[in-house]
Amino acid sequence: MNGGTGAGTPARLFGGQIEALEKAFRTLTLAATLKDQAARLRDVLGSYFAGDTVRLYRRTGADWESVAGGGDETSSLLPTPAGDTGAASVLEGGKISVVQRLADRSEIGVLLVRRAGGTPYAEPDLITLRLFLALFDSVYRELAARRNEKDLIFSLNHRVLQLNSLIDTGIEVSKLEGAAPPHHLALERAASLTNASKGVLRVTRGGRTEEEGWFPHGSPPEGAVPREGGISSAFDFGGETYTFQLFDKESRNGIIPFDETDQLLLDALSRQVHASLENLYLHQEALEKQKIEQDIAVAASIQQRILPKSLPAIEGYDIAGINIPSKSVGGDYYDCIPLPDGRFAMVIADVAGKGVPAALLVSSFHAYLTAYLEAGIPLVELARRMNRVISRASTEDKFITAFFAVLTPSSGALETVSAGHNPVFLRHKDGGLVELSVGGVPLGMLDMDFPYQSETLTMAKGERLLLYTDGIPEATDGRQRLYDEDFPLKDYVRAHVPPRADAFIQELIADVKNFTGSAPQNDDITALYLLKT
Amino acid sequence: MEQPFNLTSEVRDNCLIITTSGYVNNVGGEAIAAEFARHFDQGTRHVVINLAQSRVVNSVGMSFLIEIIEHLQEADGKLVFSNLDPAVEKMLSIMGLFQYAGKEKTVEDALLSFHDTGKKGS
Repeated sequence: MNGGTGAGTPARLFGGQIEALEKAFRTLTLAATLKDQAARLRDVLGSYFAGDTVRLYRRTGADWESVAGGGDETSSLLPTPAGDTGAASVLEGGKISVVQRLADRSEIGVLLVRRAGGTPYAEPDLITLRLFLALFDSVYRELAARRNEKDLIFSLNHRVLQLNSLIDTGIEVSKLEGAAPPHHLALERAASLTNASKGVLRVTRGGRTEEEGWFPHGSPPEGAVPREGGISSAFDFGGETYTFQLFDKESRNGIIPFDETDQLLLDALSRQVHASLENLYLHQEALEKQKIEQDIAVAASIQQRILPKSLPAIEGYDIAGINIPSKSVGGDYYDCIPLPDGRFAMVIADVAGKGVPAALLVSSFHAYLTAYLEAGIPLVELARRMNRVISRASTEDKFITAFFAVLTPSSGALETVSAGHNPVFLRHKDGGLVELSVGGVPLGMLDMDFPYQSETLTMAKGERLLLYTDGIPEATDGRQRLYDEDFPLKDYVRAHVPPRADAFIQELIADVKNFTGSAPQNDDITALYLLKT
Repeated sequence: MEQPFNLTSEVRDNCLIITTSGYVNNVGGEAIAAEFARHFDQGTRHVVINLAQSRVVNSVGMSFLIEIIEHLQEADGKLVFSNLDPAVEKMLSIMGLFQYAGKEKTVEDALLSFHDTGKKGS
């Protein structure tokens, strides 16, 4: 279409102009970019003015850049808009040059150099061109607004993405058995959320690098390895320093500086990793504790099976025993074992230490004891052998104090050997108390074949024998006072003579508990009481 | 960690299938866009981007993907993503890409989706 000068009457001219402007508007609004819009305008102008040389330029600074129509040798012809006028135009030598300032302060310039057929451009053409450029500005404002809106939506979505990813990463790094180490995942996420092109995590101890992992390739990038620059965040854990560093923030226009939000994100991810490592450490500690508790439970179960469920009835005697384990597994043991010749062996023992090793040693003690008793080995020899086998079965810090007694019920004869155990009390009927402690060293303390000695006495009617472990004399009250052997234990043994052995045991335990009050029981309490009726 | 970015492409039943590996960032996004443009100019309007080996995408990389979607929309074409890592799928979802692009589990499913919509590309 040629809508240029001399195309007809003014009415036809205006009608054609309006129609051309409407068409131009529809065409220009389809453009996705300024360059596209400029190209479309060039086509419109070329068609409307029948121009065979239509050139468009744009400048955002001092220099013009060709955006449609090619050639820049004529850009010097473009005028500069004065002040706030926003537009400038020149008609000279049949050529038109018009400049329109756009909404973003850049300028678009159009040169109509030559019309097909050679007709020079005239004043009406200049006016029409200015109308086209005003339209161009209007459409560009709309395009810029759409682009700004799109950028804003993208930016808002990206903020949502960053927050969401921060939450997700927090959950993922806190997984105790995640697929990837938490610090590697955090580095990956930090790089992508901040648009860093690369990043590194260094774990150092005392200035020495113990671990170094790069994103995205796992190893340092080719070329110079950046040591500084970018942003970083660090924390200390377990004597090591974990440092995250990100480099080269990307944009569509090249590398740009990291901003405050990037630093906040990196710090947040770094804190999440710190918390995750602490949680992992605590979790492992809890698992180890759980394992120990399971071992202790097994040991306690073994120990409880070794202890007698009931004691044998001895004609002319009444016997009772008790074992109250403390919270941790101890190593107390007691029993009364009938011997093939009609006698009875009474034993009480205490392993130094607690826990699984003590329970295992008690188990060995029980096995050897029953074997030797069944073999009819004399008490002194039994103690000697027990010392030897326990020495070999235990570590240096483990030993057993024990008291062995063999009773001949018919005569009341009692042979005893103490292997470093607490003195056993024999209470005469008149209240007198005898301490039985003849014997030797604790079992397993020294593997030097020490001899043991025994003592023999005869229990008369009404006499009583108390064997106990140190859980009783070492029980303390809230003020750390002991339920000591000299007082009050001996006094209690002298003063209390109930008719039944089990009554004595129960009342003794009640007295100890009454003494200690709310203080915790620190050791096993074991006692064996024999009363000749 | 991610592998260095790499890209392969093939055309199957008039559909462009771009398969990537590594970090989809500025470099990765530009490479995808260039490969897309090369085929778009030749008339391809149906595109599958297989991100099976790309577990990390940044927003610059995503801006290239959005541009591809826009170009296809204007030309009545369609983009379908396939083999998405859950984290990447969530990222693309939050950025609104699935309002204008499809997603399928596999490349084959993606190709079938073009048949299903009756929009087999030119």
